[in-house]
Amino acid sequence: MISARAVLARATPVLACLGLLAVWQATSLVLNNDSFPTAIEAIRAIPLILGDKEALINILASLRRMAIGFGVAVAMSIPLGLMMGRSRTVASFFNPLLMVIYPVPKAALMPIIMLWLGVGDIAKTLVIFLGVSLPVIYHSFAGAKAVEEKMLWSGAAMGLSAAQRMTRIVLPAALPEILTGCRTGLVLALITMITSEMIARQSGAGNILFNALDMGQYDTVFAMIIIVGAMGIGLDALFEKMRARLVKWSEPQFDIPVSFS
Amino acid sequence: MNARAFTTDVVFGVVPIALVVAIWQALVSFGYAPVTLLPPPGLVFDRLAQQLMTGTFQQEIAATLFRLFAGFAIAVVLGVTIGLAAAASPAVNAVVRPLVRVLAPLPKVALYPALLLLLGFGHESKITLVAADALFPILLSTFYGASMVEQKLIWSAMAAGTPRREILFKVVLPAAMPSILTGCRIGLVISCIVVFLAEMITSTDGLGHLLVTAARTFQAVDMFVPLITISLLGLILNGALEALRAFLLRGFPEVLCNV
Repeated sequence: MISARAVLARATPVLACLGLLAVWQATSLVLNNDSFPTAIEAIRAIPLILGDKEALINILASLRRMAIGFGVAVAMSIPLGLMMGRSRTVASFFNPLLMVIYPVPKAALMPIIMLWLGVGDIAKTLVIFLGVSLPVIYHSFAGAKAVEEKMLWSGAAMGLSAAQRMTRIVLPAALPEILTGCRTGLVLALITMITSEMIARQSGAGNILFNALDMGQYDTVFAMIIIVGAMGIGLDALFEKMRARLVKWSEPQFDIPVSFS
Repeated sequence: MNARAFTTDVVFGVVPIALVVAIWQALVSFGYAPVTLLPPPGLVFDRLAQQLMTGTFQQEIAATLFRLFAGFAIAVVLGVTIGLAAAASPAVNAVVRPLVRVLAPLPKVALYPALLLLLGFGHESKITLVAADALFPILLSTFYGASMVEQKLIWSAMAAGTPRREILFKVVLPAAMPSILTGCRIGLVISCIVVFLAEMITSTDGLGHLLVTAARTFQAVDMFVPLITISLLGLILNGALEALRAFLLRGFPEVLCNV
């Protein structure tokens, strides 16, 4: 009985995917619109895109930029967030600046950054970096702020230096919260990547999407949407697995990421 | 927090912003960056003040705000309704949960081309995109807020003879309010960002469109103006929501202090 239930729990996301595809199929059949292909047509176009060498290189290049931007952002944001969480001075120094930057769409900086750095990889990676940084900083900040003072006092009493307290007490204690931030950041990296490519229209997955739209290859458009969606869901599931392993001792407060651009 | 600590915080907060503006000015005045690429801050803010007075610019802001509010309102109504329904009924939860699991990590902006094809290039596709992006944080925080409501409160209400239907509105909704408002705050920032991006990708009006037009003609000054405007709009809307939150949560002193 329990195992049947576990199987069902595992299968529900798959069932949800199938259900969504079925709804899509039914709607497109009802609408019978040229610009809205059926789900089956779109799925049939996926191997065509992934089989095309140029498209594949484009998508892989996008993913590489995303990985670099995400990695650098995480490496820089976590220390800053932790310091903000432990020191009131640092927090009040950076907080207003971050609040001003927060509602600015990072992908919208693309045209300006392109003007300065050209349309190369650096500009696109920089935009992804900017997009990922803020949620990671905020979550590390919140995590470090919530660390119990008593643990720090004990650490200090046992002769740990400030830097040691940071890496051996604050970092592990804030890790669940930090990883929540990284999860949001990961989805954001994908969104920023697609958006910046849609705006810059030079290469990458976002560009394939809009080129197909311009040329009226609607099945390619929808196939690309499925590919990008699968990337998002796949990366998220992968990260969740890693997170569960790293912080086994902590139950996540939100088991579904709050994603946004 | 006493008044003195507050003043220190404000002073400390202004310093980095002033520093950024100073570096920006220095880069231009010492000739590290050509004016065509990085216009001096004075010029940009002059231009912003001048633009804010013109009718066309106000119309662009109005177009952006209309889409932003329409999308955000749809997201709030749907998110709170579905969230409450999922928290109240296990059957709804069983359907909603896997769907949200799949749809939440999906980059919604990738759906934009599909929305364009289905809904056209007008307001509808942009409003739908904003709503789709702002929906999930609101839905999730409503759900978590409503499922964390203390069972004792519900039992007391039932013991006092409140009908089941009214419990949802009289007990669960107010108790979940802090969490719902947190979700709305995230949703609002997302709406700001998404509406701007949608306008940048395809549009004929709005702030995002202004930025793209300026970029095509290499008018660096005009590129900064819409960006600063959207940042200001975000700050103002955030402040307004904060005021609303302070008003709605008069009964929750412990939550208010934590902000």
